[in-house]
Amino acid sequence: MRVSARWRPRLLLGLVALATLLLVRSGAGWAQGEEQGGAGNRHLLIGHVYDGKGQPVAGVDVTARTAGESELLAEAETQDDGRFALSFGPDVASLAALQIQLQRPHFQDTSVRLPSETLAALQSGDATVMADVELVPRITPAFWLAAAIFVLMLILIAVGSIHNTLAALVGAALIFAVSYLGPLVTEDLFIFDFARALRYVDWNVIFLIMGMMIVIAVVERTGIFQWAAFMAYKLSRGKGWLLMIILMIIAGVASAFLDNVTTMLLMTPITIQIALSLNLNPLALLMPEVMASNVVGISTLIGTPTNILIGSFAGISFSDFVVNLTPGVVIAMVGLVLYNQVVYGEELQSSAAKGALSPMLLERLEKRGEIKQPGHLRKAGVVGAAMLVLFVLGENFHLVPAVTALMGATALLMWIRPDIEEMIEAVDWTTLVFFIALFIAVGAVREVGLISLLATGIGRLVGENLLLATMVVAWLSAILSTIVANIPFTAAMLPVIASLTATIPGAESKVLFYALSVGAAMGGNGSLIGASANMVTAGIAERAGSPITYGYFLKRGFPALIVTVALASIWLYIRFL
Amino acid sequence: MSGIVCPIRGGAASRSTIDKAIAIAQETGLPVYFLYVLDLGFLMHTMHVQTGTISRELRELGEFILLTAQDRAAREGVQAETVLREGEIVREAIAALCREIDADYVIMGRPVEARDRNVFTPEMLERLTRDLEAEMNATVVFAGEA
Repeated sequence: MRVSARWRPRLLLGLVALATLLLVRSGAGWAQGEEQGGAGNRHLLIGHVYDGKGQPVAGVDVTARTAGESELLAEAETQDDGRFALSFGPDVASLAALQIQLQRPHFQDTSVRLPSETLAALQSGDATVMADVELVPRITPAFWLAAAIFVLMLILIAVGSIHNTLAALVGAALIFAVSYLGPLVTEDLFIFDFARALRYVDWNVIFLIMGMMIVIAVVERTGIFQWAAFMAYKLSRGKGWLLMIILMIIAGVASAFLDNVTTMLLMTPITIQIALSLNLNPLALLMPEVMASNVVGISTLIGTPTNILIGSFAGISFSDFVVNLTPGVVIAMVGLVLYNQVVYGEELQSSAAKGALSPMLLERLEKRGEIKQPGHLRKAGVVGAAMLVLFVLGENFHLVPAVTALMGATALLMWIRPDIEEMIEAVDWTTLVFFIALFIAVGAVREVGLISLLATGIGRLVGENLLLATMVVAWLSAILSTIVANIPFTAAMLPVIASLTATIPGAESKVLFYALSVGAAMGGNGSLIGASANMVTAGIAERAGSPITYGYFLKRGFPALIVTVALASIWLYIRFL
Repeated sequence: MSGIVCPIRGGAASRSTIDKAIAIAQETGLPVYFLYVLDLGFLMHTMHVQTGTISRELRELGEFILLTAQDRAAREGVQAETVLREGEIVREAIAALCREIDADYVIMGRPVEARDRNVFTPEMLERLTRDLEAEMNATVVFAGEA
């Protein structure tokens, strides 16, 4: 079916509005469900199921049978919080004993005989709570296969031989292949089914990223980045060191509100042009810029994909990130500026002595520095400001960030009525597919118990020492992020951090999640492959005859990692410990 | 039509190539055609596919790099044109421009540093040189050579 061009904008707007509505409705549905839980006249038996780490286990099939007989009396499935509620009819009153059976793939089957006093309470008609049940994990061949597929996916992403999205899709497809075809050989090859896999997809993240993509697509076309860079050039008056600082601040602030890759995609070409005009080595400006982008991005919830993941998983709001991380980011940024002055100071000596800029090049630069769509920029500014207010205040009335992003995107589309084909192109569907496939792959290793095992290992290492745990999370994340793509790494670490947060006294401040944010983002500065923004910057710089090799980046980036993570760790200590 | 084709990428490595092209233009009186080939292949290593915006930005960058070369030639009193082509195969872009203007000279930079950082490996460059000299009767000159 073809949709006429006239109706396409309305169709897209309709889809975005529908998505917004669905998200709001789903939020309301949750609230409603909470209120209704436990209501009714039947005999209710309520229980909690945990794993060995004290974490709730979802998706457990719970059945109640008469002791020694196979007659099924009631059945239920545990929810995300590990709770279940078995509902019995009036005939429960005549039972002499009751057996509760719990079954879930990757755990040993467990059977509990209900104590007589609990059975009596149930028979009296009250909603009765039984003792918590602990399930013992079981390592099956599916555990090893899921782990191997996850590692393969990480390697494919790190090597870059195929597109990241394709690598994640390969991982998800292999997991489904094992889950559906494996049981034909042995049941122990089952990982999870499609319905269970979809429960691991965080739709809040997907819709937040999608909404922000639409807003970014409007902003990037206005020429604001080029204008800001040109202003930096004019303000610096040929002083290379000052130009570097201003460009770092621009890249950093932009990265706090837009994604780092878009920021560097738009900043790198104009920065190279300014460097060429001033006879400066472009890398002396680009390296500090991309480092600043990686560091400052974590100031807000929407600044980096890793923060979006962390915020959604741990329930950390926009203002929480600003209050708890921005001061640390400012301290790290000061350190980064000083570090870059030491590294690039000589190359950034006043360029005024290197010859005046020709009128032809100056004219070209001025033309590049013009705002191309002032009307769109003004409207985007108004909508952006409104979104910021909602991001900050929304938590007070349960407005999730994804809904704010979708409402902002819809308002902007309604107001400026852009070319809808361009907007469709601007929504980076491959990134959204990447996240969905990644959530499924991470879900698989959670399902088989690998993440739980990892959490146990780290838990043993740090014990109940919160300071040690914070430093281990921050530094381990930073170091690993130099070799492993930080988005899948963060997605895999989130349940580990949740487990540590639940077991280490004092960790309820969510300091470990902030440490993960610091490590995953600032670790991106440690190597060329540490962050997508680095790769994009290097790709463009190479096409302008200024290649950034792996060795070059490592030599300058890794010390920057140490400086910034150390300073941010000091802030975390002051703030939380 | 005839002239000197000078493919450039910008940066320090292109300076000697541009200087060589200007020097030959001054000797022969031929115009120089600075060529920049825009290649977006590296984007497959990232998740982003906003090729519309990126190609616009890189096109601007390529034009600016060409403009700096043209500006340099103008300062030396040499007439220079700029040509920007899109595509991943630089060899074909060079050959096509040579055919279009019936080039007399092609000024190239020598591969330096690590092999994977150059557009051409020495073997590829040798093959291209052979083809250009045989097919188009153009003289291939490498920057840095007498």
